[in-house]
Amino acid sequence: MKLDLSGLQSFPSIPGGAVDDLGEDLFAPPSFQLPACSDVPDSRASMGGYISSQSVKKIIEINPYMLGTMAGGAADCQFWHRNLGIKCRLHELANKRRISVTGASKLLANILYSYRGMGLSVGTMIAGWDEKGPGLYYVDSEGGRLKGTRFSVGSGSPYAYGVLDSGYRFDMPVEEAAELARRAIYHATFRDGASGGVASVYHVGPDGWKKLSGDDVGELHYKYYPVAPTPVEQEMTDAPAA
Amino acid sequence: MLCRSDPITLRLVFDAFLGVQVALGFSFCYYIFLPDLPSLPRRPSALPSRSVAGRRNEPILAQSRMSRRYDSRTTIFSPEGRLYQVEYAMEAIGNAGAAIGILARDGVILVGEKKVTSKLLQTSRSTEKMYKIDDHLACAVAGIMSDANILINTARVQAQRYTFAYQEPMPVEQLVQSLCDTKQGYTQFGGLRPFGVSFLFAGWDKNYGFQLYMSDPSGNYSGWKAAAIGANNQAAQSMLKQDYKDDFTREEAVQLALKVLSKTMDSTSLTSEKLELAEIFVEPSGDVKYQVCKPELLEKLLVKHGVTQAATEST
Amino acid sequence: MECVFGLVGDGFALVAADTSAVHSILVHKSNEDKVMILDSHKLLGASGEAGDRVQFTEYIQKNVHLYEFRNGIPLTTAATANFTRGELALALRKNPYFVNILLAGYDKNIGPSLYYIDYIATLHKVDKGAFGYGSYFTLSMMDRHYKSGMSLEEAIDLVDKCIIEIRSRLVVAPPNFVIKIVDKDGAREYAWRESIKDAGVSAA
Repeated sequence: MKLDLSGLQSFPSIPGGAVDDLGEDLFAPPSFQLPACSDVPDSRASMGGYISSQSVKKIIEINPYMLGTMAGGAADCQFWHRNLGIKCRLHELANKRRISVTGASKLLANILYSYRGMGLSVGTMIAGWDEKGPGLYYVDSEGGRLKGTRFSVGSGSPYAYGVLDSGYRFDMPVEEAAELARRAIYHATFRDGASGGVASVYHVGPDGWKKLSGDDVGELHYKYYPVAPTPVEQEMTDAPAA
Repeated sequence: MLCRSDPITLRLVFDAFLGVQVALGFSFCYYIFLPDLPSLPRRPSALPSRSVAGRRNEPILAQSRMSRRYDSRTTIFSPEGRLYQVEYAMEAIGNAGAAIGILARDGVILVGEKKVTSKLLQTSRSTEKMYKIDDHLACAVAGIMSDANILINTARVQAQRYTFAYQEPMPVEQLVQSLCDTKQGYTQFGGLRPFGVSFLFAGWDKNYGFQLYMSDPSGNYSGWKAAAIGANNQAAQSMLKQDYKDDFTREEAVQLALKVLSKTMDSTSLTSEKLELAEIFVEPSGDVKYQVCKPELLEKLLVKHGVTQAATEST
Repeated sequence: MECVFGLVGDGFALVAADTSAVHSILVHKSNEDKVMILDSHKLLGASGEAGDRVQFTEYIQKNVHLYEFRNGIPLTTAATANFTRGELALALRKNPYFVNILLAGYDKNIGPSLYYIDYIATLHKVDKGAFGYGSYFTLSMMDRHYKSGMSLEEAIDLVDKCIIEIRSRLVVAPPNFVIKIVDKDGAREYAWRESIKDAGVSAA
């Protein structure tokens, strides 16, 4: 008996074939219906002052249609997102349809709420596509759960909000949204010491999620603010002989 | 409830709480004391062993054996789909003192027949068939009093719990239902015997006004305009059906109840010491009142309605 | 910061609340509806910790619905208030819910009513009530301008006065408010008072 583990794979399942063999066009953006969600976290994991990793996958792929983001305790986020992934898959098997983003986020919020006061630290967004279209929820370990059109979570979030809010429109095209999000993360990592690493951008459309980019924020910095050759103002010369 | 070190327990708990958490106000928890063994009870050796001759009598024989096999436990259906123990419990009530309840325009009345077993018996309570459950609710009992006492106690507790939670009187039907839930439990769970009690509940609530309910050992209950339980209840019921009118006052209802009792009671004389009368009505102030009729007044009523045959027949 | 207030008028009761979802200095959302429609004729305005607020109000709502399904009759507003108080009191010495509640309802034969319930399980039947930082302004405003038997227009006028006062005097004033009413025709949203429009789709 072969088990269908597609829900646990980290790539959207592609019928018949290894991912590597397939042309680039398969990964081309699906025909987008606006609005779509895009998630852009950075990738730095820190332990106090020590940066433990610069390449953490802060976007957790719950299933081909749903993503979660990570802020707060990395282990808590990872564990409960995987747990949520299992529950979502079981829902799918039991009900022959994918769970809604509303339902999935409520599931997570209820779990976190039941552990309230026991030291969990989770700040997350659940982004996905369901029968009602795109959905975005903010969920945290205090039991909070908010539906919205844009969120930012984590230590750098106020910085990110500054950029995000100034450029956000509900009807913006995907490319613009992706760039806005990337830019927001970049600026957050620039100002916040605990943020950094790679800014990954994902898009969730009607056919599931897809990673659009993953840029080292250091490189982004030089892309956004190229080093301008400064004119030489003065050159060292030999002191005139006395 | 939660055990931190046991993720499986937790997961199970969460599964039960998916989506929304609905806590049930009071949920009953029944414990199954003994696992029912699959083997049948040993049949008495008195049963004839099968013979060719016996086979001719098979249907009768099978039936009598059937009732033995299936009537000793409440939890087992007979092949005809009956629960014999429950039926036997109802049978027991058929021998108990009768009680009649009648719904009137301005209240509900309950009349009960006391079975006086001995002249020497000292009854400590003023009533032995009527019990006040809450200010707005009372019941009449027929059946095994020791069983009834348990149920009356739970009913009183339920009524007080409700008032504690909501600061208002418990709706009549809810109380009846909660009591019947208890009764039902004893017809389903292993090792238990049903309560041998039928009740008439009389009460008032703000939603449905005056109400009268009857319940039996199976846990069934239903609302009535007039109902009878206990000895001769079928005869009483049909008399009530004949003479009941929708616009009865309490007094007319009492008159009918006394008349019915005088005809259905086994004893020839109808005296105040063999009867109990209680009424529920709303006072002008708006308060609900439960009132038990004093023996002297009851005596007068018997005379007034001409149902007291004591003087004429007993002499 | 949080502002929830309500009052009873002539044949109706009303609850108004801010709509900000705040986390320390961060406003996550400015269109979060904090006034729940409990059942056909009840409103439940709540302030307090985000998780507790949602979980507790939903818990109450589901129990009120369950009661109605089981018994075929709705709970009265008074019974609901007492039930809610009881649940808060029960939780208080175990794991308390940090939620303050204004419960408005309309009952046949009784009319409109408003109940004040705080997180330490105090229950009061009131004509007007408020919770949160906004209460420091709105309570006195309502004391000054409230009359019993106010018409809907007068009441909304007073609510608007309160909102203006909050916006102008409270340092951490929330930008947006929602007003809901309940009368013989049921509980419903009446209006939003928004000074910042949150871009995008409507409230959750």
